[in-house]
Amino acid sequence: MEPKDARILVVEDDVDAADAVKTILESAGYQVTTAESAEKAWDAVRAQAPAAILLDVMMPSGTEGFHFVWDLRNADDQKVREVPIIILSAIHEGTSLRFYPTESDDTYAPGEYLPVQAFLDKPIEPSKLLSEVARVLKTRPPQ
Amino acid sequence: MVRAPESAEVATRSEAVLSARELVESLAWIARLRWLAAGGVAAAITVVRWYLGIALPVAPLYGIAAGLALYNCVLYGITLRLRAERPLSLARASVVANTQISLDLFFLAGLLYFSGGIENPFIFYFVFHIVIASILLSRRATFSQTALASVIVLALAAVQNEAWLPHYHLAEVMPEGVHHNPALAYGTWFVVASTLFLTAYFATSITARLREREAEIFALSRSLEERAADLSRANEKLRLIERTKSEYMRRVAHELRSPLATVHQMVGVVLDGHKGEIPPAAVESLTRARVRLRLLMDVARDLLALSRAREADLSRQMQEVSLADVVAAVAPDLEQRAQEARVALEASVADGLPPIAGDPESLAQLVDNLGSNAIKYTPAGGAVRISARGDDGGVELAVADSGIGIAREDLPHIFDEFYRAANAREGGREGTGLGLSIVKAICDSHGAKIAVQSEPGRGTTFRVRFPEAIHRGETPATGD
Repeated sequence: MEPKDARILVVEDDVDAADAVKTILESAGYQVTTAESAEKAWDAVRAQAPAAILLDVMMPSGTEGFHFVWDLRNADDQKVREVPIIILSAIHEGTSLRFYPTESDDTYAPGEYLPVQAFLDKPIEPSKLLSEVARVLKTRPPQ
Repeated sequence: MVRAPESAEVATRSEAVLSARELVESLAWIARLRWLAAGGVAAAITVVRWYLGIALPVAPLYGIAAGLALYNCVLYGITLRLRAERPLSLARASVVANTQISLDLFFLAGLLYFSGGIENPFIFYFVFHIVIASILLSRRATFSQTALASVIVLALAAVQNEAWLPHYHLAEVMPEGVHHNPALAYGTWFVVASTLFLTAYFATSITARLREREAEIFALSRSLEERAADLSRANEKLRLIERTKSEYMRRVAHELRSPLATVHQMVGVVLDGHKGEIPPAAVESLTRARVRLRLLMDVARDLLALSRAREADLSRQMQEVSLADVVAAVAPDLEQRAQEARVALEASVADGLPPIAGDPESLAQLVDNLGSNAIKYTPAGGAVRISARGDDGGVELAVADSGIGIAREDLPHIFDEFYRAANAREGGREGTGLGLSIVKAICDSHGAKIAVQSEPGRGTTFRVRFPEAIHRGETPATGD
């Protein structure tokens, strides 16, 4: 998929961080939409399924990011279900944090890893961001 | 175990007595012995009369034995009732004890009267009652009972010698007419009485000394218990302070991470020209700013790691870990850093190392921190060696370098937070000063001991000794 044909949704509650990521992606030719919360992200996804989602997992309410991923993967629309997701996190790679809920609820059980395509540590290296986005777009089934 | 006096009526040092509880228990014990005594008296009468053929007035003697048993029933009941009282009264228990001992003296006197009086060698059984009195009663009460016993013996001697009452002579044991010999009668009384008083004196003295020792031991034990409680409270307070400090550190680091990463990102976006062209001077300043931001982020990262290492409840994550696997997992990253620094890196792990109990991620961090430090502080052309071997049931990890070394005066402080030796700060080597603090915290949580040898200009060797994992999931004790 050519960058100019790909619309990337950046879900990030920090407007400055969102602006920085948006600037990097737009410099490579991608179209970028930002959303400050999972709710607004859903509005954007329903309006038009993006080519990929960059998701800040540590949003204010704690598990909002995790629930967004699982809800997306359980969506009725196949196009929405299969959107590649790249997690953005300020957690250093060396920590033991696993990106899954620690308590089970009706949707998922403990120990289930998030079904996402990549993790990127903040601050993100621009070259690494662009290469990961290009990679996940390439592996996505044709729409 | 020395028990505290239960009753509020604690005696003075010179009149040390049993506590109310101990006295009542002793009375119950004596009441049980008295059953044996009653039975023993009856048996003795039978043996003496029918087996040895000594003429005795068996009816009154059996009567006294029965009376002993009957009065013991009453006393046992009183003792049980006393036992159940709350609070126990030492005064009441003492009255019961005194009464019992006095009655026992009279019963013994009765038995002796009907079995030869002072001719009967069992007259010296009064000594047992005086010994019991010295254990149960105060010194004054003991001597009172001794005086009573002496009067009773005197009465026996007088009754016999003066013929105030019929005498039951033991013809088979003593010659006829002996009981009319005043010298013998009163002489016997004198010997018995003096024996009783001497017994009372020695027994009460020994008992008093024993009670003093007991009181001293109790006071010491109490003092030790209080000190242990104080230590425990102080320890808990220290732990709470440490926990609070660690939690605060974790919160601060957590809140710092995200905004720092964002600022770093934004500076990068400006430096990459995405916000328009910037003057070279601004580029230089922003580049330096980004380096400082990176260092701040490293501090936040290390603070989080340190607080995690200190707070870690590793009981859930503890598992049998192969140190060889840990070294192998960390090696690629270290090799890359070593290549960039032009330092030779060798990792050598002995075969067949026993597993250790630990958290794989913490152990990887430990190896990584030690390895990274070694590479960072070794000039180009130098060498770093990571090795692991079995060591007397445990496993020893060693990280040795040919680097700048650590001065002797810095060695005691290298595990302190934010401490960096003077030579470490030279040459533009950046560092948070937390790497070795994290290593030490991980060692402590794994029950491992860490030692360091170093010589400035020659290099440094860190050795970490892990205990062997004996059982799966065992949490090792905290090390130094």
